[in-house]
Amino acid sequence: MPETAAEANLRRQLEQTLAADPSIPLHHYDLGVFLWARAEAEQEGDGDEARRLRAAAAEHFLAAAKLNPNDGVPFRFLGNHYARGGDTQRAAKCYQRAVALNADDAEAGEALCDLLDVEGKESLELAVCKEAAGKSPRAFWAFRRLGYLQVHQRKWSDAIQSLQHAIRGYPTCADLWEALGLAYHRLGMFTAAVKSYGRAIELDSSRVFALIESGNIQLMLGYFRKGVEQFRSALEMAPHNHSAYFGLASALLAWSRNCVTTGAFGWAANLLKEASEAAKICASLTKNLSCVWKLHGDVQLALARCFPWVDEKIKRGVDAQMFKDSVQEWRNAILSAANGAKLSYQRALHLTPWEANVHNDAAICLDLIYSMDDNNRHDPNVWELSEKMSLGALILEPVNKDFWVTLGSMSSDLALKQHSFIRALHLDMSLSEAWAYLGKIYRQSGDKQLAKEAFDRARSIDPSLALPWAGMSAENYHQSGGSTVNESFESCLRAAQILPLPEFQIGLGTIAARTGNLLSPQVLMAVRQAVHRAPHYPESHNINGLVSEVRSDFQSAIRFYQQARSALGMMKNSKSDNKYVFADVSVNLARSLYKAGLATDAVRECEELRSQGLLSIDGLQIYALALWKTGRSEEALSVSRNLAENLSGMKPESAGVALGFICTLTYAISGKDSAAAVIHKLPGQLNYSSQLKFIISALDALHPNKRLQLPQLSMPPRLTSYEVMSEVHSNIALGKAIEGEMDKPLRVDASLSYLKKVLHMYPDCSLVRNQLGSLLLWSGDWMASHKAIRVTSLTHGHTSSMGLRSAHQIQASAMVCCYATCTSYPKFSFPTCEHQYLSGHDEIHHLQRWVHREPWNQDARYLLVLAIFQKAREEKYPKHMCIILKRLIMQVLSNASNSHENKVVQYEVFLLLLLSSEICLQSLDYENCIAQAIEALRRTASRCVDTFFAHFQLCRAYAVKGDLLNSRNEYMNCLKKHANTEMGWVMLKHLESACSLETCSDEIYKNLRECIERNGSDLSKWTSLFNLVSAQCFIGDENFASAEEALAQACAEGDPDSCILFLNGATCMEIARRFAAPQFISRAAPSLRKAQQKSHASLPLVSLLLAQAEGSLGSKTKWEKNLRLEWFSWLPELRPAEVYFQMHLLARQSAAAASQQNQLVETMQSPESWLLRAIHLNPSCSRYWKALLQLMDA
Amino acid sequence: MKLAGLKSVDGAHEESIWAAAWAPAADHRPTAVLLTGALDETVRAWRPDDLAAVGPPARGHALGVVSLAAHSAGALAAAVSLDSFVRVFDVDSGASVATLEAPPSEVWGVQFHPKGNALAAAGGGSGSVKLWDTEKWEPITSLAVPRPEGARPDKTGSGKFVLSVAWSPDGKLLACGSMDGTIAVYDAVRMKFLHHLEGHHMPVRSMVFSPVDPHVLFTACDDCHIHIYDAKEKSLIGAMSGHASWVLSIDVSPDGLAVATGSSDRTVRLWDINMRSSVQTMSNHSDQVWAVAFRPPGGAGVRAGRLASVSDDKSISLYDYS
Repeated sequence: MPETAAEANLRRQLEQTLAADPSIPLHHYDLGVFLWARAEAEQEGDGDEARRLRAAAAEHFLAAAKLNPNDGVPFRFLGNHYARGGDTQRAAKCYQRAVALNADDAEAGEALCDLLDVEGKESLELAVCKEAAGKSPRAFWAFRRLGYLQVHQRKWSDAIQSLQHAIRGYPTCADLWEALGLAYHRLGMFTAAVKSYGRAIELDSSRVFALIESGNIQLMLGYFRKGVEQFRSALEMAPHNHSAYFGLASALLAWSRNCVTTGAFGWAANLLKEASEAAKICASLTKNLSCVWKLHGDVQLALARCFPWVDEKIKRGVDAQMFKDSVQEWRNAILSAANGAKLSYQRALHLTPWEANVHNDAAICLDLIYSMDDNNRHDPNVWELSEKMSLGALILEPVNKDFWVTLGSMSSDLALKQHSFIRALHLDMSLSEAWAYLGKIYRQSGDKQLAKEAFDRARSIDPSLALPWAGMSAENYHQSGGSTVNESFESCLRAAQILPLPEFQIGLGTIAARTGNLLSPQVLMAVRQAVHRAPHYPESHNINGLVSEVRSDFQSAIRFYQQARSALGMMKNSKSDNKYVFADVSVNLARSLYKAGLATDAVRECEELRSQGLLSIDGLQIYALALWKTGRSEEALSVSRNLAENLSGMKPESAGVALGFICTLTYAISGKDSAAAVIHKLPGQLNYSSQLKFIISALDALHPNKRLQLPQLSMPPRLTSYEVMSEVHSNIALGKAIEGEMDKPLRVDASLSYLKKVLHMYPDCSLVRNQLGSLLLWSGDWMASHKAIRVTSLTHGHTSSMGLRSAHQIQASAMVCCYATCTSYPKFSFPTCEHQYLSGHDEIHHLQRWVHREPWNQDARYLLVLAIFQKAREEKYPKHMCIILKRLIMQVLSNASNSHENKVVQYEVFLLLLLSSEICLQSLDYENCIAQAIEALRRTASRCVDTFFAHFQLCRAYAVKGDLLNSRNEYMNCLKKHANTEMGWVMLKHLESACSLETCSDEIYKNLRECIERNGSDLSKWTSLFNLVSAQCFIGDENFASAEEALAQACAEGDPDSCILFLNGATCMEIARRFAAPQFISRAAPSLRKAQQKSHASLPLVSLLLAQAEGSLGSKTKWEKNLRLEWFSWLPELRPAEVYFQMHLLARQSAAAASQQNQLVETMQSPESWLLRAIHLNPSCSRYWKALLQLMDA
Repeated sequence: MKLAGLKSVDGAHEESIWAAAWAPAADHRPTAVLLTGALDETVRAWRPDDLAAVGPPARGHALGVVSLAAHSAGALAAAVSLDSFVRVFDVDSGASVATLEAPPSEVWGVQFHPKGNALAAAGGGSGSVKLWDTEKWEPITSLAVPRPEGARPDKTGSGKFVLSVAWSPDGKLLACGSMDGTIAVYDAVRMKFLHHLEGHHMPVRSMVFSPVDPHVLFTACDDCHIHIYDAKEKSLIGAMSGHASWVLSIDVSPDGLAVATGSSDRTVRLWDINMRSSVQTMSNHSDQVWAVAFRPPGGAGVRAGRLASVSDDKSISLYDYS
């Protein structure tokens, strides 16, 4: 490139400056740099012009260096010049000088090191770097160079220091991070190494080396997932990198092993398939690497070991052939994998025949192939191939203890086995596997003591070895005694958890069936896995069936039992060997068939067994049951007689069960009398099991004439279990209730008193408590709702479904059935209930919690509706509650609509519709109200439900609407119904006058009396209520005299309610006022006084009326006292104007009398302000204005 | 792997607390927010470290809040009330965004799709999973739970009641649990039923997929056990036992190494997934624990793991998970 004008100008300037003062080195240097740059810019780097320029530059640099030998930069340029010219010696010297003068000069340092590197002078290079690094901490180039060299020389810890320092200078250099990672990796600092590699990958995502190495580390640390990710991304960068493939395959293999130990076989198989692919590609890339073939072999062998049998194809109707095919397919898949493994091992052996462990692996693989392949019959005179291979390994490495163990475990010769294990133990006394296998041999040969010792040793050396646990489990299982079986279960569970072998899992299932642990999820998991791992074992299918059966999945259980039979058919043994096993499976099958509702099939199975003479005791019971179910009762009875004949030969517990079965069956077929006869025939000294006791007590309860006075029932409770005894007692209590004839009303009292005694004996038995509670509610006791809540207790979590009613139901019912309004908030109403059941709000929350806990439970929702309705009623039907209620009712109704049969449900539907109708009525929607009530009538047949209240509701609705004709019709309908509810009649009485219907009060009263007699309820209570209603009717007609009469009667009955007393007092006062009859005032006063005393909360108006009465009777102090009481019985925001007015009167009195008593209420304000407040509240009352005028005048 | 109690707020609500969810940090809000719903018909929001209340309680969930779910973007959340309304609201302002009405008793647990484009609700008495889109809030589809092969006749006669629902973190699988213990797995991309997972025989109230293995499902059941399923391969691969009563809720830690459960036995347990065993039991609640929730990762300066639990005893507890 020719010189431009500007450059020429610059050169001239530089030359002039130099000429002006040639002794200044900087001028030489500047011109040199300029010329050098010009030379670099020449198109031909080594052209003549460039060479000329460089030479000129070099002269100037030389001059500069001579003038100022302490500046390194000209030396660097000189070095560059010589290096270009090929004079490495001089170049090196110049560079050295430059570096020596300025250790931070990276360019010179790098160039020097490169020169040295080319010449192979490594130690010199190292020395230069060290020197520079020692001179200046900022000579990062030197640290970097040093780090790389140290890594190269494998001085890892030195390298780490240098590299860390260098990274400070070049923090974004991926090479440095990678080298640092390698150094850490080699030093075994894996986490640090992973971090460094990670940084390198972060800076440059195409770092294959870092990816692979960090993958290897992750693998070593057990993070397979991350390792696999890293190998995969390495493969994306370098698709032909064999070490990435190798790493991927081994990572997947390790991951799959991890999956296998947790039992995820399908997952493991998928991973292994991928691993096998990777290993295959790796092998095709590397061809002759023995370890790759070995890896492939390992992967295939692992696949062969964990390949699960999938029963997807077998859905319904197990066809033996289909099953066989499926199992065969599975077996073939395994064999092909194993054969693949064998081939790979063969190749590996071919490449490296001196590797003993490949021999050993091949031996293990061959052993697997032999064990899977049925066609190989062992010939005792020929050595098996696997044994041979194993021996080959041993010949190569006779001191390897593991090879001895392998030989021992695959040899079929007992002596050789024992010898091998003992040799292994000679090599290492604490080889737990050898001890465990030795124990297994001793166990098989029946030498229990030795076996136990061997197992104990193995376990004490390595508690995480599965085999000794399994051995101990087998040991315990065969011993008698309850606790050892549980121990056996625990040991076997541990064995199966450590090593999920199908044999252990089947064993676990078998033990679980005996200990009743079949519902445990661990057992379920183990057994399901066993089926997938060993579909050719009939036992795995059988246990699988048991597990499904216990979870009430009978269809699956049937399928599994059928599979078990197919598997039995595939066994090589002769038919007769399998006969009893076959019978066992068939009995299981019959039982499941019966439970699944296929009784006919069950009968067929049993008959088949019977024809072969294989029907056991259990089989007989199922046979009888299935026969009965299919309607062949006679045959069933004969079978059960057959069973009874065999009773004496059985073990006591199974005899007890069989006996219970016979009783129940006899009862079901020929009624209680025959069942009783069966029990009477029993030998008296027979020790009844608790189940049998339960059956007897149930029969006893159903049998009113008490022919079964068996002494065993009243046995001291210590001998039987707690739960069953409480059930027995509950039965007895029911029996007491239905004493006498069946169609009589229940004798609740007898039952109650019995239950109380039982509760005294078992105070924490919720069954008894609930039964007591529900019976109390049933009893119609006036205070039942309060008592029932006291006896039942709400528990959290599990709600007991036992007994007549749950505790929740009892509490909710009690809340709804208390006749008094129980609102705790006096804004809406005043509680008149004397027993203060004021937890209603809380109860709704309890119910909401119940619904939340069991959202599917319609009972809970139904009770919630009732409770909320009750609350809405107490709060005068606020709008938002009506909306919620409508929604809830719709919800419950939509769910209840599908069951028409159940009487209880029908009644619930009826009630809900009426509630809905009532809500419509309260929100003034008469059309819907009538429609709902009619719907209630339509939906329910009158034989199930007493429709009195539907007619009653209609009558009310028509009356409110003003449709007198319909109203009257419905009223007559009600009268015709002869309802069995006292409340109904009382309310009907109310309606009679409200609708101005013709009087048939006598008829109503008659009906009420009948009803009371029929139910045996409290006459005085109901009469007083009836009188109250009559009085209300009279008052409505303004017939005060009759009203007073009726109320007086009501008050005379026993213990009247405070509201009756109040109404009586009020009526008397009204009569006195209207008819100026002062004698009534003296009648009113005592009633009002009583009402005031009886109610817990202070009732408003009572005190006011009483004050007036007392005042009229001449007692001024009492008047004052009662007026003050009146003031306090109102909520502040609810006080009416009249109260303020009365306070004004009171204030005027006391202001006149004694002003020093300023603690009294009325003195809080002046009479004027009281009066003004009254007027403010109710300005329309002329009395107040008059009083104000008077006050102003005064 | 351990929990350390940080703070507990007694009387956080006026009544039993039934639901809890973390709304993750968002662009406009640097930290996550804990939402709780209770029988007192309110949803309240709490700051993540000191459990100070954020804003006034949101009311209007008639009969109590059954379930809560937060959108992955952190701005929205959905609350289900006992009267079968789903209210979708803005986490910060509490303002309603949408109200989704389901027929009575046909909605229970809810979960947002991990990408946030759909809301799945366990369909209660309808025996299905309902899906809404999150843009227009219109129903997309309803996936019925088919009867399992050869199922036993239902004891209650009221059909299946679907209680819980879970999305896999990659959004490919959707699982729902029912009161009779059946768990149905769906292909969430093609909206097709795949298979049932067996093993439970009582109500499955809560489930969650592992964040590291997107086909591993953890379930909590009334039978007192926690199961681990390979939801893709249809196999039970683990079971953990230790609670003395129903397991009501389950959540998995963001690192995928631990699960936490709340139970009717009034405890919160931490389980090591690899060891398949319980490593810690917290018994600071005095009543059944209805919900546990790990704080999702992300947000300003949030390194530490947090677990929240809520209970019938009206309290919220916050733990440090490390």
